[in-house]
Amino acid sequence: MEKLVTLWYGSGAYNLTLGQAVMIVVGMVLLYLAIAKKFEPLLLVPIGFGGILANIPEAGLAISALDQAIEVARPAVLQQMASALGATLDPLAAEETWRATLKALVDEGPSPDQLRGAHDVAVNVGYGDGLLYVFYKVAVESGIAPLIIFMGVGAMTDFGPLLANPRTLFLGAAAQFGIFATLFGAVGMSAMGWMDFSLEQSAAIGIIGGADGPTSIYVSSMLAPELLGAIAVAAYAYMALVPMIQPPIMKLLTTRREREITMTQLRPVSKLEKIVFPLALLVLVALFLPDAAPLLGMFCFGNLMRECGVVERLTDTAQNALINIVTIVLGLAVGSKLMAESFLALETLGIMALGMVAFAIGTAAGILMAKLMNVMSKMPINPLIGAAGVSAVPMAARVANKVGLESNPHNFLLMHAMGPNVAGVIGSAVAAGVMIKYLG
Amino acid sequence: MRDFELLEEGLTLMALGMGFVFVFLTVLVMTITLMSLLLRRFAPEPVEQAATGAARPPAPAQQDAELMAVIGAALHRYRQRHRR
Repeated sequence: MEKLVTLWYGSGAYNLTLGQAVMIVVGMVLLYLAIAKKFEPLLLVPIGFGGILANIPEAGLAISALDQAIEVARPAVLQQMASALGATLDPLAAEETWRATLKALVDEGPSPDQLRGAHDVAVNVGYGDGLLYVFYKVAVESGIAPLIIFMGVGAMTDFGPLLANPRTLFLGAAAQFGIFATLFGAVGMSAMGWMDFSLEQSAAIGIIGGADGPTSIYVSSMLAPELLGAIAVAAYAYMALVPMIQPPIMKLLTTRREREITMTQLRPVSKLEKIVFPLALLVLVALFLPDAAPLLGMFCFGNLMRECGVVERLTDTAQNALINIVTIVLGLAVGSKLMAESFLALETLGIMALGMVAFAIGTAAGILMAKLMNVMSKMPINPLIGAAGVSAVPMAARVANKVGLESNPHNFLLMHAMGPNVAGVIGSAVAAGVMIKYLG
Repeated sequence: MRDFELLEEGLTLMALGMGFVFVFLTVLVMTITLMSLLLRRFAPEPVEQAATGAARPPAPAQQDAELMAVIGAALHRYRQRHRR
């Protein structure tokens, strides 16, 4: 009978908290959106599943050996850990108090030696770091996974349209206004007392407006790791929603005549130009913004491999096998941040709302910039391609093409929109670099 | 008071960030334009030809002959049919 009771106490059903149950449902909703609605399935399937795994009670997949030991270890072990941390536990207090005390001790940030000592105690009695925790440590906290994905994106990107019409870079720059406006919005909400975001957190939220998954994850892992789960989910969910968010804004801000503007044919770009471009970009980054060097450096490297044409095997790996492997690890690691205590907060709703605003403002800024350029120069620019300035490659460019076709069935804007689209990737990486420089 | 400082910091970062993005991308536009001009001036067509040459290897002669025969037959048939 006693054995049965122990088994019951160790079961998930007994230990499941309300928060965990809610988060498992959230994970299921993400899976539904990914599978049934095709919302960025490549990322939302691993993220949603990781979220479910992270909230399985007692399994501790998303926490370190130390945290897990604090939650479930026997009292003797707790005392050993306390002494490793240089504290004593009140022998009269209940076991739950001990666990709370220990948790507080660890959160307070003891010296690295003490922390290692306590960790060793936990490992010695047989607790191990959870799988998702290891994924997070290795892939996200180090910044490696987003950077490798960025390399793969570089290896998939054709800069031809951008090189043929470099002015479209301005559209990519303008669309980054979404990032900074949202940052200011988040700071404003905190100043009004509605939310409580620090400047770092606001910056990490703003970068959702860059519409670039790896960049968002990279920035938030550096500036606000506690919000990473919500930020990544918001970024990928809204990227999937680009075809719904953008068209109304595009139609609101342009007249029918503007949407019908046909653009001049792009000139062919030589192979040499395409090879020199990533190197030129790299030199500029090195000269002006070394903080963007990790992101843009990997991006340029991927692109150089693609364009130089002598390392096809490496290009192939970077844009297929490697990016797929890293996506799996990255998705699960982000899912590990969907733990009830950090995700189920008012702040998450704030992040979702701000993320939407970021996309809308970025789109509008891109379009308005295109209209301005139309006034100032003779070469016509269809304002719709400005909306593609919010990276989200290639979704945003396809949306611009589709809305253009609705007004004029013979006007194919896709190639023209790819220019601002990849410019947006560069722009948001630069914006990320500025933020890391300023706040890091 | 702290709120006001936070707002101010946010505004500074916004102006600084947006300004920097524009400056950087403007410099990039100039670099690209200059690069294209130079490359097209000093290393013009040969590059282009080398590129297309490498991308499309010449078809084997035998296949070529076969292709010509097929096209010839098709042309012949078309002309015959449309003469009437």
